[in-house]
Amino acid sequence: MKARILVVDDDEALAEMIGIVLRNDGFEPVFCADGGQALDVFRSSKPDLVLLDLMLPGIDGIEVCRQIRSESDVPIVMLTAKSDTSDVVRGLESGADDYVPKPFKPAELVARVRARLRPGDQKAPETLRIADVTIDVAGHTVNRGNERISLTPLEFDLLVALARKPWQVFTRELLLEQVWGYRHAADTRLVNVHVQRLRSKIERDPEAPEVVLTVRGVGYKAGS
Amino acid sequence: MAAGLEQLPFRARIWRRRAVIVSLRVARLVRTGISRFFPALRYIVQSLHRRWRRSLQFRTVLTTLLLAVTSFAVVGAYLSNQIANNLFQERLTQAESETRYNVKQVQDTFDGAQVTDQSSVITLVYDTLNAVEGRGSVIQRRYVFEAMPQQTKPRNRWVESRASDQLTVSVIPPDLRKAVQESGKDQYWASTVIPVGTEDRPGIAVGNKVTFNGTVYELYLIYDLNTAQQTLDEIQSVLWAGGAVLVLMIGAIAWYVTRNVVSPVSHAAVVSEKLAAGQLQERMVVKGEDEVARLGASFNHMAASLQEQITQLATLSQMQQRFVSDVSHELRTPLTTVRMAAEVLFDARHDFDPVNKRSAELLYNQVERFQSLLSDLLEISRFDAGVAMLDAEPEDILQVIAHVIDGAAPVAAEYGSELILRAPAGGIVVEMDSRRIDRILRNLILNAVEHGEGKPVTITVAANQTAVGVAVRDHGIGMTPTEAARVFDRFWRADPARARTTGGSGLGLSIAMEDTKLHNGWLQAWGNKGSGANFRLTVPLRQGEEIDRSPVQLEPEDIVLPGVREDRNILLLGPGTSGQPDEAGTFRGEVPPSSKAAVHVPPKETS
Repeated sequence: MKARILVVDDDEALAEMIGIVLRNDGFEPVFCADGGQALDVFRSSKPDLVLLDLMLPGIDGIEVCRQIRSESDVPIVMLTAKSDTSDVVRGLESGADDYVPKPFKPAELVARVRARLRPGDQKAPETLRIADVTIDVAGHTVNRGNERISLTPLEFDLLVALARKPWQVFTRELLLEQVWGYRHAADTRLVNVHVQRLRSKIERDPEAPEVVLTVRGVGYKAGS
Repeated sequence: MAAGLEQLPFRARIWRRRAVIVSLRVARLVRTGISRFFPALRYIVQSLHRRWRRSLQFRTVLTTLLLAVTSFAVVGAYLSNQIANNLFQERLTQAESETRYNVKQVQDTFDGAQVTDQSSVITLVYDTLNAVEGRGSVIQRRYVFEAMPQQTKPRNRWVESRASDQLTVSVIPPDLRKAVQESGKDQYWASTVIPVGTEDRPGIAVGNKVTFNGTVYELYLIYDLNTAQQTLDEIQSVLWAGGAVLVLMIGAIAWYVTRNVVSPVSHAAVVSEKLAAGQLQERMVVKGEDEVARLGASFNHMAASLQEQITQLATLSQMQQRFVSDVSHELRTPLTTVRMAAEVLFDARHDFDPVNKRSAELLYNQVERFQSLLSDLLEISRFDAGVAMLDAEPEDILQVIAHVIDGAAPVAAEYGSELILRAPAGGIVVEMDSRRIDRILRNLILNAVEHGEGKPVTITVAANQTAVGVAVRDHGIGMTPTEAARVFDRFWRADPARARTTGGSGLGLSIAMEDTKLHNGWLQAWGNKGSGANFRLTVPLRQGEEIDRSPVQLEPEDIVLPGVREDRNILLLGPGTSGQPDEAGTFRGEVPPSSKAAVHVPPKETS
């Protein structure tokens, strides 16, 4: 079955070009040119992934991202024309999983999309623990005691990557490669922002983390 | 002349008594004060000292007061001395003439006396002497009547000595007696102290001799100076009070005047501090048309033009920032479409005829170039607008370097250069914006590969207490010192005639320089025609720290000393040579470059 991808972009030429590239690679694109209608189109088309431009007429991309994230865990990849740190970080904080800075290569875009669409590669029943948090890998659930913690797929992947090797300190580059599927040249802010988001959901006190620990100057590791 | 000196004993005694009392009081105060109030005293002294240092008004008022007190003390002492002298002199003159007259009266009475029996003589003498005291209830003068010693005693000498009430011959100073005794009929005087009632009073004793019935007597008439002393005391207390009032008034005037002058100045100081703190709307209060008002007016004028310029600059900067952001967005979206289209065409070029195929290739390559030029331009304009922010975090710079070398390896392989990394084992954690450090190093390494003519490119890393240094050394065509000095200029080319092969924007090293400045680091170039070039990046380990010296050398050691050095951790990267240890080791710290070819770009000049 073809994966359906919602492209939210007000630039018709770019949207059409993205459509051509996506179709070429066997995806089924759905288009929306207006931020105000994005949520409706999202509800009606039920896409597997959203490509979202940050600058949109009507409601801007960050708000659309927040709306979609509030009712779905579907992967969101932002298209940003600005590489200013604040915009990228704001986009990631509003719930986007990844971003592709314009101008991008078709292959780059497709790689991002594929990385986010990676099927749950038939996970074996496996239960991991970090600190007082239990992770059911196959069931895609995270619990603290009886309390269920709701994570997006990306946050879940990040947590599982850390939990599988609790002895290892992960550099940001390594996490980018394992969780996001990057090979080269990536922005480690992705990792920082997502670790913060993960912590805000999973830690008792995000200021004093116990589950995802920072190793100063190196990266992150799982708490014991 | 004797008058001034003669009056001293009495006054000196009074002063001495006063001085003793005052010194006893001071000593007691100091004793109790030191034990009980010493901390408080020290605090007071310190706060006074602080005020002295910090308040112009306090200093001026205090100085004025001190000067006023000093001048009043001098003038007061002079005045009081002058008045005392005059009073004394006047009284003395009066006393001398009165004495002369009275002595003559007594002598006349004695000479004309016709008495022979003892009681008559005694009565006569006593009456005569009592008459000297004057009539009325107030005694005008007192007397001491004493037979001169050492003279043969005549037969009818019945009177030996006589004195006014409470007086004895001891009140007469011995010097005066001696002078009177030794002279003929001259008159002498001296200051003395006489008991009157219960108190001692200052007085003048004037002495002469009288003869009665063949016996020579010393007759001293003593005048009370009490009224003169009282007058003097009153005058002195008036002087004291007047002086004190005047000093206080001068102090108040000084305070008022300096306040008038100083308060606008301190107001200006407060306002300019606020201005400096960014409250640009702050202004001085201007009243009147005097110098102070002019100061205020010109200060306000300055503040206004400052505010205007700063606001203008801020607006310009915002406009620039918005413009850059808009251009960025507006250009990038169509460029993305063009680029994707070009790539789709490029990927399908094998299906085209040769003309279309070549066109697709050109389109693809030039779109790439256009894009890198655009992003470099946008990056530079972001630096110029001052909106580039340092996103510093502690990270291992060796990882970043390894990552850059990984990325550059394919390009290096294309040029046939090998990339050699000389770095210490372990990690070097640097507080840095790894995205920017990555970009600087990528620029330096690609630049070295581009100009390296296929010879090895060496990347040397070392750290000291304050900084980490990365040197990128190529052995290519090199450059002259003048070229090395210009290498960070925008769009600068060593040889304008030489075509660019990698399609760089000409902004790479300029951006690297800007990125370095953002880290408060140094970026320096060394070059020598024919022996390659060396670029050195030095970044402080912690942001906000100063670099004292770079841990790696700018002028390459291999130019001067090609020899065996100690080995450390060496990693080889490059075509066909990966993993082999190198003969050469790392540089061992900074040696001042001796060659003229070395070009330093000190941080002071660049930032």
